[in-house]
Amino acid sequence: MIEENLSIWSLIVNASVLVQVVMGILFIASAISWVMIVQRGIFLGAAQRGFREFEDAFWSGVDLNSLYRDLTQRAKEDGGSDGIENVFRAGFREFNRLVQTDKADPEAVMEGTDRAMRVALSREDEKLNISLPFLASVASVSPYIGLFGTVWGIMNSFRGLAMVQQATLATVAPGISEALIATAMGLFAAIPAVIAYNRYAAMVESINSSYETFAEEFSSILHRQVHAH
Amino acid sequence: MGSFLSYSVAILVSLALHLGLLVLLFVGWHPETTKVMMQPQYIEAKLVELAPKKTAQPKAKPIPQKAKVDEARRKREEKLRAEKKRQQKLAADKKALEKKRQQELDEKKRLAEEQRRRDEQEAERKRIESEFAEQLAAEQAQINAQEDERMANSYRQLIQQRLSENWSRPPSARLGMETLIRIRLVPTGRVVGVTILTSSGDSAFDRSVEQAALKVEQFAELQGMDPALFERKFRQVDVAFSPEDLRL
Repeated sequence: MIEENLSIWSLIVNASVLVQVVMGILFIASAISWVMIVQRGIFLGAAQRGFREFEDAFWSGVDLNSLYRDLTQRAKEDGGSDGIENVFRAGFREFNRLVQTDKADPEAVMEGTDRAMRVALSREDEKLNISLPFLASVASVSPYIGLFGTVWGIMNSFRGLAMVQQATLATVAPGISEALIATAMGLFAAIPAVIAYNRYAAMVESINSSYETFAEEFSSILHRQVHAH
Repeated sequence: MGSFLSYSVAILVSLALHLGLLVLLFVGWHPETTKVMMQPQYIEAKLVELAPKKTAQPKAKPIPQKAKVDEARRKREEKLRAEKKRQQKLAADKKALEKKRQQELDEKKRLAEEQRRRDEQEAERKRIESEFAEQLAAEQAQINAQEDERMANSYRQLIQQRLSENWSRPPSARLGMETLIRIRLVPTGRVVGVTILTSSGDSAFDRSVEQAALKVEQFAELQGMDPALFERKFRQVDVAFSPEDLRL
């Protein structure tokens, strides 16, 4: 009648096609979201570390010109750079260019510098936010997908129950158990995604605000310099 | 910068995690599949076993012996018949038939002898053959018995459930009371008699139990049951009632 062997694997294999599709989608979503989680973790960790290192270097009293040259050199070697140094380089480059032009109006110089830093900031913000929306959608949607699979599976097993003469628990239990695996998988995909999304969103916010703070500070330093001329 | 590296690390970690999960599901981790008996809400009705369980073993053996007995009986009957014939024809043609009868008898004896030898050989061969067959049959019988037992259990559960549903708790019911009743059933599942075997000491409780069985009237679910199983286990059903889950 009903096989005694109810390993989870055999339940998955014997599930109906739709439930299997749901499980497949959830499995893939879980795999991709884990790629995102690990990659974002590495990236955001690196961004935080990079910011701390840069701040240390910046406030160590080093000459801004030589710092700029070092950073540009390093960026050229690595083929691009991330994080706060981009903001610094964009601002400093723009500032130098504007100062070197004739009849440089201090207000215009500061305006241009600020604009360049804002652009760099928003670019960095974009970089930090990559794939967080994906995590958010996995977190919110995958329980529903799992639930859909479960509801479908239970629906079918109850329909099967209506056909048999003697309804015992054993005739519905495997079907329900099989269907519940879909919910389990949905939660399995959603929980890490929710945790990661919340944590990373907080991290991105704190990194962004520290970038902005730095940009303001840097802008005030340049302001002093341009008015000292 | 390091984005390629970080992506490849991330992909590796994710793949490892999910493959590990798959392997875990595929190989090791089975959930426990123990069956849980449903407890009736207020009362537990235990069925007392009526007869010792039949063992499946002895079924296979008696067949050759039986054949032998049949053979012997048949021979006896033949002899008797021959005797009768002889007496009938004795008056008419005694001497002429004497020889013929002797011949016939001899012939029959010879045939019977042959038949018996053949049977014996057959039985011998069968016995050797049945070394396997017997084991197989025993196994099959055991499986059947288990299947029967499972069916019987599910019916028992039904009976318990129905009795519990129909039982109304008298105010004097206390924890620890137990009444043993015997319900007599017919194959349609109808209750034809209820007797109290062991009283709980409280007549109101005894009556309530008896009433519960009478109120059920018919265990309609028993109708489709295998008649042999019914005869064996459900012709008379002994049920021990003891209130549980009472807050008294």
